[in-house]
Amino acid sequence: MSAWKYKRVMPKVIVAKLRLIEPNDIVELAGRRPRDVHSMLAKTSYQAEISEIPVKQLSSISLENALLKNFMRTCEEIMNHSPKSISFLLSTILMKFEANNVKAILRAKEAELSVDEAMKYIVPVGRLDEARCLKILENSKSVSDVVELLSELEYGPVLKEALRGHEETRLLLPLAVALDKYVYGKIWRAAGKLRGLDKKIAGTVIGIEIDSMNIKVILRCRAMGINEDQIRRYIIPVSEVFGEKELEDAIRAEDIKSSIASLLEAAKLALARDYRYVLTDLLREYEASQSLSQLELVLDRGLLKTSLRMLKRYTLFFNIGLILAFLNLKWFEVKNLRAVIRGVEDKVPSDKIRKLLVLPE
Amino acid sequence: MGIGTWIITLSVELASIHPTRLELLRLRRRKAMAEGIIDILKKDLDALTVTLFDFVKEIPSLRSQIQESLREAYDLFIEAKMITGSRKIEEISLVAQPIDFDINVGTKSGVLGISLPTFQLAQEAAHILEPRFSILDTPAKLDESVLKTKIALSHIIKLAEIEASMREILDVMAVKKRQINRIQYKILPQLDAAIRYIELILEETERQDALRVRVLQRKRKERALKST
Repeated sequence: MSAWKYKRVMPKVIVAKLRLIEPNDIVELAGRRPRDVHSMLAKTSYQAEISEIPVKQLSSISLENALLKNFMRTCEEIMNHSPKSISFLLSTILMKFEANNVKAILRAKEAELSVDEAMKYIVPVGRLDEARCLKILENSKSVSDVVELLSELEYGPVLKEALRGHEETRLLLPLAVALDKYVYGKIWRAAGKLRGLDKKIAGTVIGIEIDSMNIKVILRCRAMGINEDQIRRYIIPVSEVFGEKELEDAIRAEDIKSSIASLLEAAKLALARDYRYVLTDLLREYEASQSLSQLELVLDRGLLKTSLRMLKRYTLFFNIGLILAFLNLKWFEVKNLRAVIRGVEDKVPSDKIRKLLVLPE
Repeated sequence: MGIGTWIITLSVELASIHPTRLELLRLRRRKAMAEGIIDILKKDLDALTVTLFDFVKEIPSLRSQIQESLREAYDLFIEAKMITGSRKIEEISLVAQPIDFDINVGTKSGVLGISLPTFQLAQEAAHILEPRFSILDTPAKLDESVLKTKIALSHIIKLAEIEASMREILDVMAVKKRQINRIQYKILPQLDAAIRYIELILEETERQDALRVRVLQRKRKERALKST
């Protein structure tokens, strides 16, 4: 690993990190009025996107879109200044948002929305910019047509394979699951192509992100009473720590507590200390609250803590750690601001808003 | 013979009465029976009123449980929007499977053997085949909101059952009240009138008999005096 290859991206990331909003400021926003929140955001790094919104259209939804656009723009800027291997990983991470657009197009088509109504759910990013999304919506009459038009991109063949599941069940769920599995699988493989410390850090951070999603799926499906075969279909089968057997044990465990305990045991055996930290917090939270939504918050906080821990454990600069930590900080900042904006508009009590925030300690 | 038929039978026309002691006894027995029936009907009415008020007492707490569950469901839904974004939730709702529910309508035996309706939410299949919406795109708060909505639904069904039962009981109470009024204000006065009529005739007959006996005695005395 050569430190030299980070010479362009590190300053960008450091400056962008400095421009993040202080967690205390976000917490304080939770008790303010909507227009105070709007005016505060207009003075932050989100200024450019917020200034594009006409004053009459300023609302929680237009602000949500502005936040997402800012996040995409920031990711693309960092990607453009990153070394080749890291740029490739970041481009696969951006595929998550492209996949969101694909899902939005599919859902809009299934619900037979007009093109204008459908475009409200799309945040243009990467290869699925506004022009392409409009073209797909205008030239398709059904979900199959959308899949056909996506053949130019890698999503087309993935969706074609899952189309049968959609035709049998008349549900879009098989298509969404196929997309998610493909995208996260690709992100995992991109992380695997890195070398040395970058590979180790990316493997840990991205591994915890993917495994957190798998844990959420297992716990929620179990709580809903969904059968084991179905649960297996939703698992993203990429993990360094949890193999097929460990996930199977978690799916078949007696109850939710046993599921978490079996995963914790697997993490201990694999000597995966970051996983151990997250799962220990998870078990503690379940014993305290037995609330799945609280467990999801613990998993999100665990991801953020892990990416920040990489900065302390390894050198702060000249590895992918700072980039991934910044991206996670930025993503959770967007989510937190979105929660605050929505919460103040719906007059949710400030203490309830604060409980939903995922903040670095 | 039902109460209604009996009441019709109890009604008498004065013209059809035979003014005899036997008829008087029959009429008095009928009157006693009518008064007994009124007592029974009033006791039934009391029992129905008590049951009605028991139902009435349940209604405020059920209504507040419904409001509480719905409020919690909406609060959780708003929190789900806060976590995932309003647009995402809206987008997912475009194609989410609606909750399919059915209500089993039955009857149960209630107070005084009245058939009261029962409503029960049909149980879903033990194992759900598919989640109703994408799990990776939605937060657990949405599941919690759905659960609270289902709880509110069960309370609403219970409230509907109570209100339907109250309607049944009120119908039966109305019938019993009409029966009591018919006996009290039509049958009993008719019986009293008939009894009074017969008593008057029997008194008159007695008076005339007594007079006849005195006249006969006087004539016998006069004959006896004449012969001596």
